[in-house]
Amino acid sequence: MKTLEVVPLARVEGDGGITVTLDGKKVKSVTLDVHEGPRLIEQLVKGMTPEDDINVVPRICAICTLSHKYAAIRGLERALAIDPPEKAQLMRDLMMLGENVESNSLHTFLLALPDFLGYPSAIAMLNDYGDDVKRALRLKKFGNHVMEVTSGRIVHGENPGLGGFGKYPSKKQLSEIAIRSKELVPDAVRAVELFSSIEYPEHSEVETTFMSVNAPNKKFGLAGDSILISNGKETDADDYKKLTSERVVPHSFAKRSVYKDKSFAVGANARMINMGKRLEGQAADLFKENYSDRWLRNPLLNNLAQAIEMVWALESMPETTEKIAALDDPVRAEPTRISGSGTGAVEAPRGILYHHYDVRDGLIETADIITPTAQNLDDIEVHMKACAERLLAEGKKDEELLLPLEMIARAYDPCISCATHLVRLKRV
Amino acid sequence: MHKLCDTPCKAEEGLSSELARLAGHRKVYVLGIGNRDRGDDGAGIAVAEKLQKNFPSYSRSENDGLEGIVLDLSESDEEAFVVFVDAADLREEPGTVRLVPMEEIRATEITTHRVTVALLAALLDKAKKGSAVVCIQPGSIEFRADITPPVKSAVDCVASVLSELMSRRN
Repeated sequence: MKTLEVVPLARVEGDGGITVTLDGKKVKSVTLDVHEGPRLIEQLVKGMTPEDDINVVPRICAICTLSHKYAAIRGLERALAIDPPEKAQLMRDLMMLGENVESNSLHTFLLALPDFLGYPSAIAMLNDYGDDVKRALRLKKFGNHVMEVTSGRIVHGENPGLGGFGKYPSKKQLSEIAIRSKELVPDAVRAVELFSSIEYPEHSEVETTFMSVNAPNKKFGLAGDSILISNGKETDADDYKKLTSERVVPHSFAKRSVYKDKSFAVGANARMINMGKRLEGQAADLFKENYSDRWLRNPLLNNLAQAIEMVWALESMPETTEKIAALDDPVRAEPTRISGSGTGAVEAPRGILYHHYDVRDGLIETADIITPTAQNLDDIEVHMKACAERLLAEGKKDEELLLPLEMIARAYDPCISCATHLVRLKRV
Repeated sequence: MHKLCDTPCKAEEGLSSELARLAGHRKVYVLGIGNRDRGDDGAGIAVAEKLQKNFPSYSRSENDGLEGIVLDLSESDEEAFVVFVDAADLREEPGTVRLVPMEEIRATEITTHRVTVALLAALLDKAKKGSAVVCIQPGSIEFRADITPPVKSAVDCVASVLSELMSRRN
Protein backbone atom coordinates (compact mmCIF):
# COMPACT_ATOMS: atom_id res chain seq x y z
CA MET A 1 0.00 0.00 0.00
CA LYS A 2 1.28 3.44 -0.83
CA THR A 3 0.16 6.65 0.79
CA LEU A 4 0.79 10.10 -0.56
CA GLU A 5 -0.11 13.20 1.36
CA VAL A 6 -0.48 16.82 0.43
CA VAL A 7 -0.61 19.02 3.48
CA PRO A 8 -3.02 20.77 3.67
CA LEU A 9 -6.03 20.76 1.37
CA ALA A 10 -6.02 24.52 1.34
CA ARG A 11 -7.98 27.35 -0.18
CA VAL A 12 -11.32 25.81 0.67
CA GLU A 13 -13.40 26.64 3.71
CA GLY A 14 -13.56 23.63 5.95
CA ASP A 15 -12.04 20.75 7.78
CA GLY A 16 -11.91 18.24 4.98
CA GLY A 17 -9.65 16.07 2.92
CA ILE A 18 -9.47 13.91 -0.17
CA THR A 19 -8.65 10.22 -0.09
CA VAL A 20 -7.78 8.34 -3.25
CA THR A 21 -7.63 4.57 -2.94
CA LEU A 22 -5.86 2.76 -5.75
CA ASP A 23 -5.70 -0.93 -6.46
CA GLY A 24 -2.85 -1.24 -8.90
CA LYS A 25 -3.72 1.15 -11.71
CA LYS A 26 -7.40 0.98 -10.89
CA VAL A 27 -9.08 3.72 -8.92
CA LYS A 28 -11.00 2.01 -6.18
CA SER A 29 -12.51 5.17 -4.73
CA VAL A 30 -12.07 8.90 -4.38
CA THR A 31 -13.73 10.43 -1.38
CA LEU A 32 -14.08 13.98 -0.14
CA ASP A 33 -13.98 13.51 3.59
CA VAL A 34 -15.60 16.03 5.89
CA HIS A 35 -14.04 15.84 9.31
CA GLU A 36 -15.75 18.80 10.87
CA GLY A 37 -18.12 17.57 13.53
CA PRO A 38 -21.85 18.16 13.32
CA ARG A 39 -22.89 21.30 15.15
CA LEU A 40 -26.50 20.30 15.63
CA ILE A 41 -27.82 23.76 14.82
CA GLU A 42 -31.17 22.34 13.73
CA GLN A 43 -31.63 20.84 17.19
CA LEU A 44 -30.37 23.96 18.88
CA VAL A 45 -33.07 26.18 17.41
CA LYS A 46 -35.97 23.91 18.40
CA GLY A 47 -38.22 25.77 20.79
CA MET A 48 -36.76 29.16 19.87
CA THR A 49 -38.82 32.02 18.54
CA PRO A 50 -38.41 32.76 14.82
CA GLU A 51 -36.70 36.04 15.75
CA ASP A 52 -34.10 34.18 17.80
CA ASP A 53 -33.64 31.60 15.07
CA ILE A 54 -32.62 34.14 12.46
CA ASN A 55 -29.94 35.41 14.81
CA VAL A 56 -28.58 31.94 15.54
CA VAL A 57 -28.53 30.17 12.17
CA PRO A 58 -26.23 32.65 10.36
CA ARG A 59 -23.51 31.55 12.79
CA ILE A 60 -23.27 28.38 10.71
CA CYS A 61 -20.97 30.31 8.39
CA ALA A 62 -19.13 33.62 8.52
CA ILE A 63 -18.79 33.72 4.72
CA CYS A 64 -22.38 32.96 3.74
CA THR A 65 -23.78 34.64 6.83
CA LEU A 66 -26.32 36.70 4.93
CA SER A 67 -27.41 33.75 2.81
CA HIS A 68 -28.21 31.82 5.96
CA LYS A 69 -30.00 34.82 7.42
CA TYR A 70 -32.01 35.34 4.26
CA ALA A 71 -32.88 31.65 3.76
CA ALA A 72 -34.14 31.51 7.35
CA ILE A 73 -36.13 34.71 6.89
CA ARG A 74 -37.72 33.43 3.68
CA GLY A 75 -38.59 30.08 5.24
CA LEU A 76 -40.07 31.64 8.35
CA GLU A 77 -41.95 34.30 6.42
CA ARG A 78 -43.56 31.59 4.32
CA ALA A 79 -44.36 29.64 7.47
CA LEU A 80 -45.93 32.63 9.22
CA ALA A 81 -47.49 34.19 6.11
CA ILE A 82 -45.51 37.42 6.37
CA ASP A 83 -45.60 39.61 3.30
CA PRO A 84 -42.53 41.87 3.41
CA PRO A 85 -42.68 45.32 1.82
CA GLU A 86 -41.10 45.97 -1.55
CA LYS A 87 -38.30 48.06 -0.10
CA ALA A 88 -37.28 45.20 2.20
CA GLN A 89 -37.23 42.79 -0.74
CA LEU A 90 -34.98 45.14 -2.66
CA MET A 91 -32.66 45.55 0.33
CA ARG A 92 -32.38 41.79 0.54
CA ASP A 93 -31.49 41.67 -3.13
CA LEU A 94 -28.78 44.25 -2.51
CA MET A 95 -27.28 42.48 0.49
CA MET A 96 -27.11 39.24 -1.49
CA LEU A 97 -25.38 41.06 -4.36
CA GLY A 98 -22.81 42.34 -1.88
CA GLU A 99 -22.19 38.89 -0.44
CA ASN A 100 -21.88 37.46 -3.93
CA VAL A 101 -19.22 39.99 -4.93
CA GLU A 102 -17.38 39.55 -1.64
CA SER A 103 -17.20 35.78 -1.94
CA ASN A 104 -16.75 35.38 -5.70
CA SER A 105 -13.95 37.95 -5.85
CA LEU A 106 -11.96 36.13 -3.21
CA HIS A 107 -12.53 32.71 -4.71
CA THR A 108 -11.84 33.57 -8.32
CA PHE A 109 -8.79 35.81 -8.02
CA LEU A 110 -7.11 34.57 -4.88
CA LEU A 111 -8.11 30.96 -4.28
CA ALA A 112 -8.70 29.43 -7.72
CA LEU A 113 -6.58 31.52 -10.07
CA PRO A 114 -3.18 30.54 -8.62
CA ASP A 115 -3.84 26.90 -9.63
CA PHE A 116 -4.51 27.80 -13.23
CA LEU A 117 -1.62 30.23 -13.54
CA GLY A 118 0.82 27.79 -11.96
CA TYR A 119 1.44 29.54 -8.66
CA PRO A 120 1.29 27.90 -5.25
CA SER A 121 -0.67 30.81 -3.78
CA ALA A 122 -1.87 34.35 -4.33
CA ILE A 123 1.27 35.56 -2.52
CA ALA A 124 3.43 33.99 -5.20
CA MET A 125 1.27 35.72 -7.85
CA LEU A 126 1.92 39.12 -6.39
CA ASN A 127 4.91 40.01 -8.50
CA ASP A 128 3.39 39.04 -11.83
CA TYR A 129 -0.28 39.65 -11.09
CA GLY A 130 -0.12 42.29 -8.37
CA ASP A 131 -2.85 44.37 -10.01
CA ASP A 132 -5.17 41.37 -10.02
CA VAL A 133 -4.55 40.72 -6.35
CA LYS A 134 -5.47 44.35 -5.72
CA ARG A 135 -8.58 43.96 -7.87
CA ALA A 136 -9.64 41.07 -5.67
CA LEU A 137 -9.17 43.14 -2.53
CA ARG A 138 -11.00 46.13 -4.04
CA LEU A 139 -13.96 43.97 -4.98
CA LYS A 140 -13.96 42.19 -1.64
CA LYS A 141 -13.78 45.47 0.22
CA PHE A 142 -16.75 46.75 -1.76
CA GLY A 143 -18.73 43.55 -1.22
CA ASN A 144 -18.04 43.86 2.49
CA HIS A 145 -19.17 47.48 2.39
CA VAL A 146 -22.48 46.60 0.76
CA MET A 147 -23.00 43.87 3.36
CA GLU A 148 -22.25 46.33 6.14
CA VAL A 149 -24.57 49.03 4.80
CA THR A 150 -27.46 46.60 4.35
CA SER A 151 -27.01 44.25 7.29
CA GLY A 152 -25.32 46.50 9.83
CA ARG A 153 -22.00 44.67 10.04
CA ILE A 154 -19.53 43.04 7.70
CA VAL A 155 -20.09 39.67 9.35
CA HIS A 156 -23.24 38.53 11.13
CA GLY A 157 -25.15 41.75 10.65
CA GLU A 158 -28.43 41.89 12.51
CA ASN A 159 -30.25 44.57 10.57
CA PRO A 160 -32.30 42.18 8.36
CA GLY A 161 -35.31 40.80 10.17
CA LEU A 162 -38.62 39.09 9.65
CA GLY A 163 -40.90 41.39 7.67
CA GLY A 164 -38.27 44.01 6.93
CA PHE A 165 -35.18 45.78 8.22
CA GLY A 166 -34.35 47.61 11.41
CA LYS A 167 -32.89 50.53 9.51
CA TYR A 168 -32.62 51.51 5.87
CA PRO A 169 -29.56 53.16 4.35
CA SER A 170 -29.54 56.82 3.43
CA LYS A 171 -29.88 58.00 -0.16
CA LYS A 172 -26.25 59.11 0.01
CA GLN A 173 -25.09 55.63 1.01
CA LEU A 174 -27.15 54.09 -1.77
CA SER A 175 -25.84 56.56 -4.31
CA GLU A 176 -22.26 55.81 -3.31
CA ILE A 177 -22.87 52.10 -3.77
CA ALA A 178 -24.30 52.74 -7.23
CA ILE A 179 -21.32 54.85 -8.27
CA ARG A 180 -18.73 52.48 -6.88
CA SER A 181 -20.36 49.40 -8.38
CA LYS A 182 -20.13 50.95 -11.84
CA GLU A 183 -16.48 51.83 -11.25
CA LEU A 184 -15.68 48.25 -10.30
CA VAL A 185 -17.27 46.49 -13.28
CA PRO A 186 -13.94 46.51 -15.20
CA ASP A 187 -12.29 44.66 -12.31
CA ALA A 188 -14.89 41.91 -12.53
CA VAL A 189 -14.59 41.84 -16.32
CA ARG A 190 -10.86 41.28 -15.84
CA ALA A 191 -11.71 38.15 -13.84
CA VAL A 192 -13.78 36.94 -16.77
CA GLU A 193 -10.89 37.65 -19.14
CA LEU A 194 -8.49 35.69 -16.98
CA PHE A 195 -10.75 32.67 -16.58
CA SER A 196 -11.88 32.66 -20.20
CA SER A 197 -8.27 32.57 -21.40
CA ILE A 198 -7.53 29.32 -19.57
CA GLU A 199 -7.29 26.02 -21.42
CA TYR A 200 -9.49 23.87 -19.23
CA PRO A 201 -8.42 20.22 -19.17
CA GLU A 202 -11.04 17.63 -20.07
CA HIS A 203 -10.03 14.99 -17.56
CA SER A 204 -12.78 15.75 -15.06
CA GLU A 205 -15.63 16.03 -17.53
CA VAL A 206 -18.78 14.09 -16.71
CA GLU A 207 -22.26 15.27 -17.59
CA THR A 208 -24.32 16.07 -14.53
CA THR A 209 -27.55 17.73 -13.44
CA PHE A 210 -27.65 21.35 -12.26
CA MET A 211 -30.10 22.98 -9.90
CA SER A 212 -30.70 26.61 -9.04
CA VAL A 213 -33.50 28.74 -7.76
CA ASN A 214 -35.89 30.19 -10.28
CA ALA A 215 -35.59 33.92 -9.67
CA PRO A 216 -38.88 35.80 -10.08
CA ASN A 217 -39.90 37.84 -13.13
CA LYS A 218 -37.70 35.79 -15.47
CA LYS A 219 -34.65 37.61 -14.14
CA PHE A 220 -31.29 36.24 -13.08
CA GLY A 221 -31.30 36.31 -9.29
CA LEU A 222 -30.31 34.82 -5.97
CA ALA A 223 -33.62 33.83 -4.43
CA GLY A 224 -36.82 32.18 -5.57
CA ASP A 225 -39.75 30.09 -4.47
CA SER A 226 -39.13 27.29 -6.95
CA ILE A 227 -36.15 25.29 -8.12
CA LEU A 228 -35.04 24.92 -11.73
CA ILE A 229 -33.42 21.68 -12.81
CA SER A 230 -31.25 21.52 -15.91
CA ASN A 231 -33.42 18.68 -17.24
CA GLY A 232 -36.13 21.30 -17.78
CA LYS A 233 -38.21 20.48 -14.72
CA GLU A 234 -39.23 22.89 -11.99
CA THR A 235 -40.18 22.10 -8.39
CA ASP A 236 -41.64 24.22 -5.63
CA ALA A 237 -39.05 25.00 -2.96
CA ASP A 238 -41.33 23.46 -0.33
CA ASP A 239 -40.77 20.13 -2.10
CA TYR A 240 -37.00 20.40 -1.67
CA LYS A 241 -36.78 16.94 -0.15
CA LYS A 242 -37.74 15.43 -3.50
CA LEU A 243 -34.63 17.09 -4.95
CA THR A 244 -32.18 16.43 -2.16
CA SER A 245 -32.56 12.84 -0.99
CA GLU A 246 -30.15 12.80 1.92
CA ARG A 247 -27.94 10.00 3.14
CA VAL A 248 -24.93 9.61 5.34
CA VAL A 249 -21.60 8.05 4.41
CA PRO A 250 -18.90 6.68 6.71
CA HIS A 251 -16.18 9.09 5.60
CA SER A 252 -18.08 12.31 6.17
CA PHE A 253 -19.89 14.12 8.94
CA ALA A 254 -21.82 16.05 6.29
CA LYS A 255 -24.94 14.51 4.81
CA ARG A 256 -24.98 13.87 1.06
CA SER A 257 -27.72 14.69 -1.41
CA VAL A 258 -28.70 12.92 -4.60
CA TYR A 259 -31.43 13.56 -7.12
CA LYS A 260 -33.00 10.45 -8.62
CA ASP A 261 -30.10 8.44 -7.17
CA LYS A 262 -27.49 10.54 -8.98
CA SER A 263 -25.23 13.38 -7.99
CA PHE A 264 -26.03 16.92 -9.02
CA ALA A 265 -24.38 20.32 -8.80
CA VAL A 266 -25.38 23.71 -7.44
CA GLY A 267 -23.48 27.00 -7.59
CA ALA A 268 -22.61 29.74 -10.05
CA ASN A 269 -22.27 27.24 -12.89
CA ALA A 270 -25.78 25.91 -12.20
CA ARG A 271 -27.16 29.44 -12.02
CA MET A 272 -25.61 30.29 -15.38
CA ILE A 273 -26.84 27.07 -16.98
CA ASN A 274 -30.40 27.53 -15.71
CA MET A 275 -30.74 31.32 -15.80
CA GLY A 276 -27.82 32.60 -17.93
CA LYS A 277 -30.10 33.48 -20.84
CA ARG A 278 -31.84 35.98 -18.57
CA LEU A 279 -28.70 38.05 -18.02
CA GLU A 280 -28.58 41.60 -19.29
CA GLY A 281 -25.88 44.12 -20.10
CA GLN A 282 -22.22 43.24 -20.26
CA ALA A 283 -22.79 40.11 -18.18
CA ALA A 284 -25.11 38.83 -20.92
CA ASP A 285 -22.48 39.51 -23.58
CA LEU A 286 -19.80 37.73 -21.57
CA PHE A 287 -22.08 34.76 -20.97
CA LYS A 288 -22.87 34.44 -24.67
CA GLU A 289 -19.20 34.70 -25.60
CA ASN A 290 -18.11 32.06 -23.15
CA TYR A 291 -20.93 29.57 -22.69
CA SER A 292 -20.68 26.17 -24.32
CA ASP A 293 -22.01 22.69 -23.66
CA ARG A 294 -18.76 21.95 -21.80
CA TRP A 295 -20.28 23.89 -18.91
CA LEU A 296 -22.60 20.90 -18.46
CA ARG A 297 -19.64 18.60 -17.90
CA ASN A 298 -16.65 20.51 -16.59
CA PRO A 299 -16.72 21.69 -12.96
CA LEU A 300 -13.64 23.86 -13.45
CA LEU A 301 -15.81 26.25 -15.44
CA ASN A 302 -17.58 27.17 -12.22
CA ASN A 303 -14.76 29.68 -11.73
CA LEU A 304 -15.62 31.39 -15.02
CA ALA A 305 -19.30 31.35 -14.06
CA GLN A 306 -18.45 33.07 -10.77
CA ALA A 307 -16.53 35.76 -12.63
CA ILE A 308 -19.44 36.48 -14.98
CA GLU A 309 -21.77 36.49 -12.01
CA MET A 310 -19.67 39.19 -10.36
CA VAL A 311 -20.18 41.38 -13.43
CA TRP A 312 -23.92 40.76 -13.18
CA ALA A 313 -23.96 41.57 -9.45
CA LEU A 314 -22.13 44.87 -9.93
CA GLU A 315 -24.26 45.83 -12.93
CA SER A 316 -27.40 45.10 -10.92
CA MET A 317 -26.57 47.36 -8.03
CA PRO A 318 -27.31 50.81 -9.54
CA GLU A 319 -30.87 49.86 -10.51
CA THR A 320 -31.46 48.12 -7.17
CA THR A 321 -30.18 51.05 -5.11
CA GLU A 322 -32.17 53.51 -7.22
CA LYS A 323 -35.37 51.58 -6.52
CA ILE A 324 -34.61 51.40 -2.81
CA ALA A 325 -33.92 55.12 -2.65
CA ALA A 326 -37.20 55.92 -4.36
CA LEU A 327 -39.30 54.19 -1.69
CA ASP A 328 -40.21 55.45 1.78
CA ASP A 329 -38.99 53.43 4.73
CA PRO A 330 -41.77 50.96 5.50
CA VAL A 331 -42.80 49.45 8.81
CA ARG A 332 -42.03 45.79 9.27
CA ALA A 333 -44.67 43.36 8.10
CA GLU A 334 -46.11 41.25 10.89
CA PRO A 335 -46.92 37.53 10.97
CA THR A 336 -50.51 36.75 10.09
CA ARG A 337 -50.46 33.39 11.84
CA ILE A 338 -48.46 31.73 14.60
CA SER A 339 -48.23 28.21 13.19
CA GLY A 340 -47.21 26.97 9.77
CA SER A 341 -44.47 25.52 7.62
CA GLY A 342 -42.24 27.06 5.02
CA THR A 343 -39.03 26.64 3.05
CA GLY A 344 -36.64 29.40 2.13
CA ALA A 345 -34.41 28.81 -0.86
CA VAL A 346 -31.66 31.27 -1.68
CA GLU A 347 -28.51 31.15 -3.76
CA ALA A 348 -25.53 31.33 -1.45
CA PRO A 349 -22.31 31.91 -3.42
CA ARG A 350 -21.83 28.12 -3.50
CA GLY A 351 -25.37 27.24 -4.53
CA ILE A 352 -28.88 26.64 -3.23
CA LEU A 353 -29.28 26.93 0.51
CA TYR A 354 -32.50 25.56 1.99
CA HIS A 355 -33.91 26.44 5.38
CA HIS A 356 -37.17 24.68 6.20
CA TYR A 357 -39.18 25.38 9.35
CA ASP A 358 -42.25 24.03 11.07
CA VAL A 359 -43.52 26.62 13.54
CA ARG A 360 -46.16 25.83 16.13
CA ASP A 361 -47.70 28.47 18.41
CA GLY A 362 -44.91 30.91 17.63
CA LEU A 363 -42.01 28.57 18.38
CA ILE A 364 -39.76 26.52 16.08
CA GLU A 365 -40.89 22.91 16.14
CA THR A 366 -38.49 21.53 13.54
CA ALA A 367 -35.76 23.01 11.38
CA ASP A 368 -34.01 21.48 8.39
CA ILE A 369 -31.02 23.16 6.76
CA ILE A 370 -29.40 21.82 3.60
CA THR A 371 -26.27 23.64 2.49
CA PRO A 372 -24.93 23.87 -1.05
CA THR A 373 -21.72 22.06 -0.21
CA ALA A 374 -23.69 19.10 1.17
CA GLN A 375 -25.48 18.97 -2.17
CA ASN A 376 -22.24 19.16 -4.13
CA LEU A 377 -20.18 16.57 -2.26
CA ASP A 378 -21.29 13.55 -4.29
CA ASP A 379 -20.79 15.46 -7.52
CA ILE A 380 -17.28 16.48 -6.52
CA GLU A 381 -16.44 12.83 -5.91
CA VAL A 382 -17.88 11.75 -9.27
CA HIS A 383 -15.72 14.28 -11.12
CA MET A 384 -12.64 13.54 -9.05
CA LYS A 385 -12.96 9.81 -9.69
CA ALA A 386 -13.33 10.37 -13.43
CA CYS A 387 -10.27 12.61 -13.33
CA ALA A 388 -8.16 10.10 -11.41
CA GLU A 389 -9.12 7.27 -13.76
CA ARG A 390 -8.29 9.28 -16.88
CA LEU A 391 -5.00 10.61 -15.60
CA LEU A 392 -3.85 7.14 -14.56
CA ALA A 393 -4.90 5.79 -17.96
CA GLU A 394 -2.75 8.51 -19.52
CA GLY A 395 0.19 7.19 -17.55
CA LYS A 396 0.40 9.95 -14.96
CA LYS A 397 2.27 9.19 -11.78
CA ASP A 398 0.34 8.90 -8.54
CA GLU A 399 1.64 12.22 -7.29
CA GLU A 400 0.44 13.94 -10.45
CA LEU A 401 -3.17 13.15 -9.56
CA LEU A 402 -3.27 15.26 -6.48
CA LEU A 403 -3.25 18.85 -7.73
CA PRO A 404 -5.90 18.20 -10.43
CA LEU A 405 -8.12 16.62 -7.77
CA GLU A 406 -7.61 19.55 -5.43
CA MET A 407 -8.46 21.92 -8.27
CA ILE A 408 -11.76 20.12 -8.87
CA ALA A 409 -12.69 20.32 -5.20
CA ARG A 410 -11.69 23.99 -5.08
CA ALA A 411 -13.69 24.79 -8.23
CA TYR A 412 -16.89 24.05 -6.31
CA ASP A 413 -15.69 26.57 -3.72
CA PRO A 414 -16.68 24.17 -0.94
CA CYS A 415 -17.46 25.59 2.45
CA ILE A 416 -16.66 23.07 5.16
CA SER A 417 -14.93 25.59 7.45
CA CYS A 418 -11.32 25.65 8.59
CA ALA A 419 -9.42 23.48 6.13
CA THR A 420 -6.58 21.66 7.85
CA HIS A 421 -6.60 18.13 6.58
CA LEU A 422 -4.83 16.11 4.01
CA VAL A 423 -5.19 14.73 0.56
CA ARG A 424 -4.30 11.13 1.07
CA LEU A 425 -3.56 8.53 -1.57
CA LYS A 426 -3.80 4.92 -0.48
CA ARG A 427 -2.56 2.05 -2.62
CA VAL A 428 -3.94 -1.35 -1.64
CA MET B 1 10.83 32.89 16.54
CA HIS B 2 11.69 35.35 19.28
CA LYS B 3 10.15 34.85 22.66
CA LEU B 4 9.75 38.36 23.93
CA CYS B 5 7.16 38.25 26.59
CA ASP B 6 6.58 35.60 29.23
CA THR B 7 3.53 35.07 31.40
CA PRO B 8 2.72 37.39 32.97
CA CYS B 9 4.40 39.89 30.74
CA LYS B 10 7.93 40.35 31.98
CA ALA B 11 9.56 41.61 28.87
CA GLU B 12 7.65 44.63 27.64
CA GLU B 13 10.94 46.32 26.91
CA GLY B 14 11.97 43.59 24.51
CA LEU B 15 8.74 43.78 22.53
CA SER B 16 8.81 47.57 22.63
CA SER B 17 12.37 47.94 21.40
CA GLU B 18 11.97 45.36 18.66
CA LEU B 19 8.76 46.91 17.32
CA ALA B 20 10.31 50.38 17.51
CA ARG B 21 13.30 49.13 15.53
CA LEU B 22 11.13 47.52 12.88
CA ALA B 23 8.76 50.49 12.62
CA GLY B 24 11.56 53.00 12.25
CA HIS B 25 10.16 56.49 11.78
CA ARG B 26 6.92 55.28 10.17
CA LYS B 27 3.40 55.72 11.49
CA VAL B 28 2.15 52.65 13.29
CA TYR B 29 -1.15 50.97 12.46
CA VAL B 30 -2.57 48.11 14.51
CA LEU B 31 -4.88 45.52 13.01
CA GLY B 32 -6.46 43.08 15.45
CA ILE B 33 -7.41 39.64 14.19
CA GLY B 34 -9.57 36.97 15.80
CA ASN B 35 -13.00 35.92 16.89
CA ARG B 36 -14.36 37.65 19.94
CA ASP B 37 -16.96 34.91 20.40
CA ARG B 38 -14.26 32.34 21.11
CA GLY B 39 -12.56 33.35 24.33
CA ASP B 40 -8.85 33.99 23.93
CA ASP B 41 -9.09 33.90 20.14
CA GLY B 42 -10.38 37.44 20.51
CA ALA B 43 -7.08 38.66 21.99
CA GLY B 44 -6.08 40.53 18.83
CA ILE B 45 -9.46 42.22 18.63
CA ALA B 46 -9.19 43.15 22.32
CA VAL B 47 -5.81 44.82 21.75
CA ALA B 48 -7.15 46.81 18.79
CA GLU B 49 -10.22 47.87 20.73
CA LYS B 50 -8.14 49.07 23.67
CA LEU B 51 -6.15 51.27 21.30
CA GLN B 52 -9.14 52.59 19.39
CA LYS B 53 -10.03 55.16 22.02
CA ASN B 54 -6.78 57.07 21.67
CA PHE B 55 -5.88 56.08 18.13
CA PRO B 56 -9.18 55.70 16.26
CA SER B 57 -7.62 56.17 12.84
CA TYR B 58 -4.72 53.83 13.48
CA SER B 59 -6.24 50.86 15.26
CA ARG B 60 -8.78 48.63 13.56
CA SER B 61 -9.98 45.08 13.88
CA GLU B 62 -10.92 42.23 11.60
CA ASN B 63 -14.52 43.28 12.05
CA ASP B 64 -13.72 46.42 10.04
CA GLY B 65 -12.54 44.44 6.99
CA LEU B 66 -8.80 44.01 6.99
CA GLU B 67 -8.46 43.69 3.23
CA GLY B 68 -9.82 47.14 2.57
CA ILE B 69 -7.70 48.76 5.22
CA VAL B 70 -4.52 47.12 3.94
CA LEU B 71 -5.41 47.89 0.35
CA ASP B 72 -5.89 51.57 1.19
CA LEU B 73 -2.61 51.67 3.08
CA SER B 74 -0.76 49.95 0.26
CA GLU B 75 -2.04 52.59 -2.15
CA SER B 76 -1.34 55.59 0.07
CA ASP B 77 1.81 57.67 0.09
CA GLU B 78 2.03 57.50 3.84
CA GLU B 79 5.02 55.77 5.35
CA ALA B 80 3.25 53.15 7.40
CA PHE B 81 4.13 50.19 9.56
CA VAL B 82 1.35 47.70 10.29
CA VAL B 83 1.28 45.49 13.37
CA PHE B 84 -1.09 42.54 13.07
CA VAL B 85 -2.08 41.17 16.47
CA ASP B 86 -3.55 37.68 16.62
CA ALA B 87 -3.99 34.71 18.91
CA ALA B 88 -1.81 31.83 17.78
CA ASP B 89 -0.89 28.41 19.09
CA LEU B 90 2.78 28.98 19.96
CA ARG B 91 2.82 25.81 22.08
CA GLU B 92 3.69 27.95 25.07
CA GLU B 93 2.02 28.95 28.29
CA PRO B 94 -1.22 30.92 27.84
CA GLY B 95 -0.46 34.61 27.58
CA THR B 96 2.96 34.17 26.04
CA VAL B 97 3.60 36.90 23.49
CA ARG B 98 5.88 36.59 20.50
CA LEU B 99 6.85 38.73 17.60
CA VAL B 100 6.75 36.20 14.79
CA PRO B 101 8.87 36.83 11.70
CA MET B 102 6.85 37.18 8.51
CA GLU B 103 8.80 34.36 6.85
CA GLU B 104 7.50 32.05 9.53
CA ILE B 105 3.94 33.28 9.04
CA ARG B 106 4.24 32.64 5.33
CA ALA B 107 5.60 29.16 5.87
CA THR B 108 2.95 28.05 8.32
CA GLU B 109 -0.21 29.95 7.52
CA ILE B 110 -2.91 27.81 5.98
CA THR B 111 -4.98 29.47 3.32
CA THR B 112 -8.67 28.96 3.92
CA HIS B 113 -11.52 30.95 2.45
CA ARG B 114 -10.11 34.28 3.54
CA VAL B 115 -7.37 36.68 2.69
CA THR B 116 -4.35 35.58 4.68
CA VAL B 117 -2.19 37.78 6.87
CA ALA B 118 0.76 36.59 4.81
CA LEU B 119 -0.84 37.95 1.62
CA LEU B 120 -1.71 41.25 3.25
CA ALA B 121 1.83 41.56 4.60
CA ALA B 122 3.27 40.70 1.18
CA LEU B 123 1.11 43.40 -0.38
CA LEU B 124 2.35 45.91 2.19
CA ASP B 125 5.91 44.80 1.56
CA LYS B 126 5.48 45.30 -2.18
CA ALA B 127 4.20 48.81 -1.50
CA LYS B 128 7.28 49.42 0.64
CA LYS B 129 5.32 49.51 3.88
CA GLY B 130 6.46 47.47 6.84
CA SER B 131 4.58 44.91 8.88
CA ALA B 132 4.98 42.59 11.84
CA VAL B 133 2.83 39.97 13.53
CA VAL B 134 2.47 39.88 17.30
CA CYS B 135 1.04 36.55 18.46
CA ILE B 136 -0.53 35.79 21.83
CA GLN B 137 -0.82 32.22 23.06
CA PRO B 138 -4.47 31.50 23.92
CA GLY B 139 -5.50 29.40 26.90
CA SER B 140 -9.08 28.66 25.94
CA ILE B 141 -10.96 29.23 22.72
CA GLU B 142 -14.25 27.89 24.00
CA PHE B 143 -17.29 29.39 22.37
CA ARG B 144 -18.65 32.38 24.32
CA ALA B 145 -15.92 32.12 26.95
CA ASP B 146 -14.30 35.22 28.42
CA ILE B 147 -10.65 36.01 27.79
CA THR B 148 -8.65 34.12 30.42
CA PRO B 149 -6.61 36.08 33.03
CA PRO B 150 -3.13 35.34 31.59
CA VAL B 151 -4.25 36.32 28.11
CA LYS B 152 -5.91 39.44 29.47
CA SER B 153 -2.56 40.37 31.02
CA ALA B 154 -0.90 39.78 27.68
CA VAL B 155 -3.52 41.93 25.93
CA ASP B 156 -2.81 44.73 28.39
CA CYS B 157 0.93 44.30 27.88
CA VAL B 158 0.76 44.40 24.09
CA ALA B 159 -1.70 47.29 24.08
CA SER B 160 0.56 49.23 26.45
CA VAL B 161 3.62 48.66 24.28
CA LEU B 162 1.77 49.64 21.12
CA SER B 163 0.14 52.65 22.73
CA GLU B 164 3.50 53.98 23.77
CA LEU B 165 4.96 53.38 20.32
CA MET B 166 1.98 54.97 18.57
CA SER B 167 2.18 58.01 20.86
CA ARG B 168 5.72 58.56 19.67
CA ARG B 169 5.23 57.79 15.98
CA ASN B 170 1.71 58.88 15.05
